Amino acid sequence: MKRLLYAVIALSGLLAVPLAAHHSFAAEFDASKAIRVTGTLSKVEWTNPHIYFYLDAKDEQGNVVKWTCESAAPGALSRRGFKRGDLKLGDTIVVDGYRAKNGANLMDARRVTLADGRIVSGASAGDGGPQ
Amino acid sequence: MTGTRVALCSVVVVVVLALSSAVSRAQLSVPDFKSNRSTPRMANGKPDFSGYWKGTTDTKPVGNIGKDLPGWKLPLTPAGEAALKHNLTATIDPESLCIIGGIPRHNASGLPFEVLQGNNKIAFLYWYSYFRLIPIDPNRKHSDDPDPSFFGEELGRWEGDTLVIDSIGFKDEKVWIDENANPHSDALHVVERWTRPDADHIHVETLIEDSKFYTRPFTYSRTWVLGKPDEEIQEYACSENNVDAAHLGFGPGPIRPDGTRGYIDPAPLPPPLPRKQ
Repeated sequence: MKRLLYAVIALSGLLAVPLAAHHSFAAEFDASKAIRVTGTLSKVEWTNPHIYFYLDAKDEQGNVVKWTCESAAPGALSRRGFKRGDLKLGDTIVVDGYRAKNGANLMDARRVTLADGRIVSGASAGDGGPQ
Repeated sequence: MTGTRVALCSVVVVVVLALSSAVSRAQLSVPDFKSNRSTPRMANGKPDFSGYWKGTTDTKPVGNIGKDLPGWKLPLTPAGEAALKHNLTATIDPESLCIIGGIPRHNASGLPFEVLQGNNKIAFLYWYSYFRLIPIDPNRKHSDDPDPSFFGEELGRWEGDTLVIDSIGFKDEKVWIDENANPHSDALHVVERWTRPDADHIHVETLIEDSKFYTRPFTYSRTWVLGKPDEEIQEYACSENNVDAAHLGFGPGPIRPDGTRGYIDPAPLPPPLPRKQ
């Protein structure tokens, strides 16, 4: 039930009138490139105007591929129950989102499945991106 | 997780989403809400605009300075059309590069703002840690050649219970006038007429003139609602960690038929993972 409570808290964060984002989703990300990246958390930057966290994932040949994941601002995430302490180095997490238009290993982390199974929204509300 | 718990989770999630929809609808109707709380006033008798002001989701299309025009069609001159094309195809959103949005863009933004008012000055505080400070003095006149700035040279005066802010001296076309990359030139002249009809609403009627880029003046109006007492502007350092700056394309990306920025038909995300046992 604790996980259920977390899920409710995470969803409740979406109730507020959204803050506009720092930039348009469409200026950076490709909505046709929905992807899932599973990897080990190697670095966290809990910063404005976006938080970033970095994953070591593996390709089909087993080679390590580094991914940069972009989410909303710290304040917006904290208000919806996604806190800095939820991202622990070494954790294996799953990130669903959209890849950068320029083909970089950078993604908009709209849905994050944490190591304990909780699902949190990393979306920048009001950026015009998929909701 | 047992089937019963899965079912329970599903029910709760559905209920939460339903509630969120209901809350959103309630927020959508806020501008139509008839507040029974009267306009707060300063000691000098003038309305006090102080407060944390939040946009509503029925301000549509948010971020579009043509919101009040038919089809959101701005009366661009040929030079304005060229400037818009330049913004769409050759410039990155200045605000995303931490350049001050200025006026009137901040009035069209989805971001809340805070007002602190004194007898002779009024301050507008914005997310991104920007502010503008406007003198309220009917005797002050515009400079002959003001130094260009993002908020312009702003002069405030009272007309009854309406605070009029008259601004000239803006930056040139490097700045977007809204989130959709519409342009303005250094000929921009903005007249904001702010009112607080009751304790819970603040309203602006904005006249936008720019003879270089627009064939005629046009207006932009909007109402915000008062935030909760514990809501206020927080630190939002725009330039702290701009990893995104190197990955942003030109322009705002596609504009949807409803006048907002974004894709029409995004690919769905992979389905959520099943929750752990």
